Amino acid sequence: MSKLTPYLLVAPLVAFIAIFTYVPIVSSVDLSFRSWNFMSPEMPFVGFSNYARLFAWDDFWDSLKVTTIFAVISVPIRLVLALAIASYLKRETLSSRVLRGAMFLPTITSTVSIAVVFSWVFSTDYGLANGLLTAMGLGKVPWLQDPSVTLLVLIFINTWKQLGYDVIIYIAGLQAVPQELYDAAAMDGGRRFQVFRRVTVPLIMPTTYFLLVISVIEAFQIFTIINVMTRGGPAGATDMLVHLLYRTGFVLFDIGTGSALAIILFVLLIGLALVKARALGAKVHYEA
Amino acid sequence: MKLRQNATTALALVAGLLFLSPVLYSIWMSFQTAQSYYRGGFEFSLGNYGTAVTKFNFARYLVNSIIVSGMVTLVGLAVSTTAAFAFARFDFKGRDLLFGITVATLMIPSHITLIPNYLTLARVGLLDTYAGLILPAISNGFAAFFLRQYIRGIPRALDEAAYMDGARPLQVLWRVIVPISRPAIFSMGLYIFLGEWNNYIWPLVAVGKEDLYTLQLGLARLYSVNPGEGLIDWPLVMAASTITILPVLFGFFLVERHLVRGITMGAVK
Repeated sequence: MSKLTPYLLVAPLVAFIAIFTYVPIVSSVDLSFRSWNFMSPEMPFVGFSNYARLFAWDDFWDSLKVTTIFAVISVPIRLVLALAIASYLKRETLSSRVLRGAMFLPTITSTVSIAVVFSWVFSTDYGLANGLLTAMGLGKVPWLQDPSVTLLVLIFINTWKQLGYDVIIYIAGLQAVPQELYDAAAMDGGRRFQVFRRVTVPLIMPTTYFLLVISVIEAFQIFTIINVMTRGGPAGATDMLVHLLYRTGFVLFDIGTGSALAIILFVLLIGLALVKARALGAKVHYEA
Repeated sequence: MKLRQNATTALALVAGLLFLSPVLYSIWMSFQTAQSYYRGGFEFSLGNYGTAVTKFNFARYLVNSIIVSGMVTLVGLAVSTTAAFAFARFDFKGRDLLFGITVATLMIPSHITLIPNYLTLARVGLLDTYAGLILPAISNGFAAFFLRQYIRGIPRALDEAAYMDGARPLQVLWRVIVPISRPAIFSMGLYIFLGEWNNYIWPLVAVGKEDLYTLQLGLARLYSVNPGEGLIDWPLVMAASTITILPVLFGFFLVERHLVRGITMGAVK
């Protein structure tokens, strides 16, 4: 067997990764120091001025704020709901399998379809949401036109779509907790909620940590729902970071500033994962 | 006892239907005419599907989605499996570094590659081609990682027996490793296919020609032709949406267990 064999076997994968992941990171850094609009023959080096422009741009700060609000509201809701539901659905009965299946379905369904369907649900005049409100004798809400509610609508839709994933992951985590621990806690006379708080929650911490990181990172990458439903509106209320990146690069054709934003997003997301890992490190290694 | 069990199952079924009601209603809506929808009645019709296919080219989009997702899955699996085999079974200089580089891609947010990949493809003239849609999606660090873990669990004695019989590495991979790893490969195939089927942002930037639209692009464009509060033809939009969802739903009911296993295995261990 030739010494070359393993290299030939990994070569195609490594080549694809190099061309479409690592080289682009390097060229993003390079482009973020240049001024370019896709068209002009020159790409002059401009130092940090793209970053300076970004930091002086209200849209950037608004976008960062909107994205942070989205994460701060949606992540805790997802985790709490998912753990509660998973505690009910962890047993292997037919009914819990049925419900798990139903909840899981949206996570693999096309986001564009979901965005379109919920555009109808939340449309002012013919939508399901306002239909229900009217039936209850309440007034209509302009869900996708009122800047103060539109972000909440997107949080709702995203939670609906992703909840099934969180539930499945929590169930896998819960099923890994040894039954003896529950039995011991019950023998000690622990009430159900206490057992949940003192036994389940600490033991499930690694899963919670995993989901926390995943869902924060996900919140910082939301794009499709926004592009289909709101285009960042109304009045910038849903202009989250990746949408701003797309807008800067492919609508305003400002490649330099778009790349600077991509770099910032990159550093932010990698940093986020590392900081969270350190903060939660102590509890993650909790052993039974 | 039996009665009580049936009752909880029924309740779970109702809760599940309620949870999915927006999507279920959209499918139901797609089978009625716009006139009857806005009048408030129900008139069964397949007309929306006819319009989606004839006037809006959704048959073409469907074929495009199948081609793109199918190719990404096949080539992606081939590339990941051969690499996973090498990572799991061979000792070679730089192995840990290359494997580390592969796994690290899982942490890298894909949006940083958006502008550079667009420029790369523009430079080699692959924008507005199938290749341009497919190539950037081929490498999948997760699939390579997952398959490598799986292959490491296969007893080496099986490989060695095959080598004794004079097999070459690729034959060992094809005749020994791949048949045993079939469940893992299948799970990863589903995972890749679904991810690509639902991919939106890359086709959005890489394709301008309507002929190359995937279903996701076609649906988004059909809806955005009239996204305001004017009279959208909701039943038509829902028919297009149903065409976009349906293949995935069928697949889900066929292989639910594989899918869930693939996803939880990736997360928990």
